[in-house]
Amino acid sequence: MDVQEKTYEEKLAEFEARIARGEKIEPGDWMPDEYRKQLIRMIGQHAHSEIVGMLPEGKWIPHAPGFRRKLTLIAKVQDEAGHGQLLYRAAETLGKSRGEMLEELLDGKAKYSNVFNYPTPTWADVGMIGWLVDGAAVVNQRMIAKCSYGPYARAMKRICFEESFHIKQGQDLLIKMVNGTEEQKQMAQESLNRWWYPTLMMLGMPDSDSPHLGKLKRWGVKVKTNDELRQEFVDLVAPQLKSVDLHPPDDDLHYDEETGHWKFTEPDYDELKRVIKGDGPCNKERMEARRKAHEEGRWVREALAVSKRKKEVPAA
Amino acid sequence: MNKEQALQSYLLALADDELILGHRDAEWTGHAPLIEEDIAFSNIAQDEIGHAQSWLRVYESLTGTDPDTVAFLRDHNEFTCCHLVQMPKGDWAYTIVRQFFFDAAEIVRLGYLKQSVYDPIREIAVKIYPEEQYHLLHTQGNVERLGDATEESHRRMQRAVDEAFGQALGLFESIPGEDVLADENIVPDSKTIENEWLQFVVPVLKRSGLRSPVDETNGSGGTDVKSWYGGRQKEHTGHLKQIVTDMQQVYRMIPGAKW
Amino acid sequence: MNDTQLPIWEVFHQEKRGAPHVHVGAVHASDEEMALRMAKEQFARRLECVSLWVVREEHVVRTNYDDPFFFARNTDKRYREVHGFPAPLKGKHSE
Repeated sequence: MDVQEKTYEEKLAEFEARIARGEKIEPGDWMPDEYRKQLIRMIGQHAHSEIVGMLPEGKWIPHAPGFRRKLTLIAKVQDEAGHGQLLYRAAETLGKSRGEMLEELLDGKAKYSNVFNYPTPTWADVGMIGWLVDGAAVVNQRMIAKCSYGPYARAMKRICFEESFHIKQGQDLLIKMVNGTEEQKQMAQESLNRWWYPTLMMLGMPDSDSPHLGKLKRWGVKVKTNDELRQEFVDLVAPQLKSVDLHPPDDDLHYDEETGHWKFTEPDYDELKRVIKGDGPCNKERMEARRKAHEEGRWVREALAVSKRKKEVPAA
Repeated sequence: MNKEQALQSYLLALADDELILGHRDAEWTGHAPLIEEDIAFSNIAQDEIGHAQSWLRVYESLTGTDPDTVAFLRDHNEFTCCHLVQMPKGDWAYTIVRQFFFDAAEIVRLGYLKQSVYDPIREIAVKIYPEEQYHLLHTQGNVERLGDATEESHRRMQRAVDEAFGQALGLFESIPGEDVLADENIVPDSKTIENEWLQFVVPVLKRSGLRSPVDETNGSGGTDVKSWYGGRQKEHTGHLKQIVTDMQQVYRMIPGAKW
Repeated sequence: MNDTQLPIWEVFHQEKRGAPHVHVGAVHASDEEMALRMAKEQFARRLECVSLWVVREEHVVRTNYDDPFFFARNTDKRYREVHGFPAPLKGKHSE
């Protein structure tokens, strides 16, 4: 076998040409180290967000009012576990094990979405997470479904399908409340007041503060900028919320005839930086819950790893 | 107790067991030892709660009271679940052993209910049975894997068996009115279920390297372990009140509100 | 201590009889039975499914994307392809 070794520049040119043609990069393909690193970081953060994201809503499972809401909520939080599972797997194809990624999260070395570090003091928050947080997630994930890395893009297709389901559930829950008693309606509005800006932050730092944007776009890791995604999200949800008499806490929010977009007040990005760095209202609580689950489950994983079943086919 | 009352009593006991256990199981959602198990165990929680809803629909057909009203507006001291399902989730070993004991009892009970002469019960039992078979695959499989995999897993599983065995026997406390129904071949007698359950679970435990309390007695069809009775008579552990308060918190929060 | 997340199994999903088994992802599990069960939970929770295959990740043998000759088709191979021939007769078989 006489295969001539290509230079780094030749490989990079081929790699970029492949992406420019709209072809996907697959596990086993040559890729620049930085592409691999950026993707592992992004997919890992995405997976962590799903896993940590189970907690703020999971807290309401014991209190969900009625069979339908209780079952729907368990199934929803279960889906988030499923998404985390798919995403960790996508990251694993780039050469990092799930065990390593989880340890990094628990050691505080890996980041996850800011939005799951906010508290969920009322039942309305379950609906607001479905409508807004999953709404913003879908805007972001529809973009990722077009990203250049095959396994990530494939995982995203399935995840987007389930998230759109969650958005509907969130809307259903809140619309019921808005049309209910005065107290229920207030609870829904008060929840929106708390979630609006954290959700806008969830779509990331403004473009002016995103140093790697050029390369990430060229490599098809990001297909749209954070500001584009944020605008897309506001254009989508602002009219939806207003149509059911829920009002985002932004006096300047209005539809701009000229641009065809909704004008809105930017969130406080210093708060975003603080929360991402670990200084949000619930970071400590979330990490403690994850660490506890991880440590208390360790003996189970270790036992399963060496276990031999005592019987092949169970009776009954 | 007439037949109608006996049916209502039996359906409530079945539903309460499933609902409270499903509620406990769902406490693992987001906290299980492995992401795959988180997904799998959440499924069991949903199934059990769904089964409760199914039994309560039959109850509704007899009484006109819908499942949400029964589950979310009834006082805790009106529940008739056994003590086993009320206990805190404990560690993964306790959760698995409890669920295994419950699933095994369900399989035996549903085997009879699938042949009930009362159509609504028979129809639900036929639907639920395969789901419980699948649960058993999960929980029995875990007992067989964890029973003596490591020193720690053995110690924890043995402790769970010691704790849960007597509690599980409470599943077979006679449900008020069941004699009326058993006479008409609508439901099995609880003692019959208990005997078959013992014959099923004891060998599984043994094979998994776990001691069961009946090993020291006669080994089949009887045990000296104290059975945790009282649940069917509405005498409960302190845990039930907390569960029911949590469960009904939002539902009862605002009078007249729909959710 | 290094954490174990158990071995990885690739999962293939068949939606209905007659359909092919399609790779849908992977699960972490201790053995075949657990892998099948976890595959069912993760990939047949919403999707219709009649059959699943699982295979240990390391047992999958792969071609190399970078191989320059393995899939090369540079010379004229149209004689192997349907559209390489005009349909001489009209009728069902040429459809």
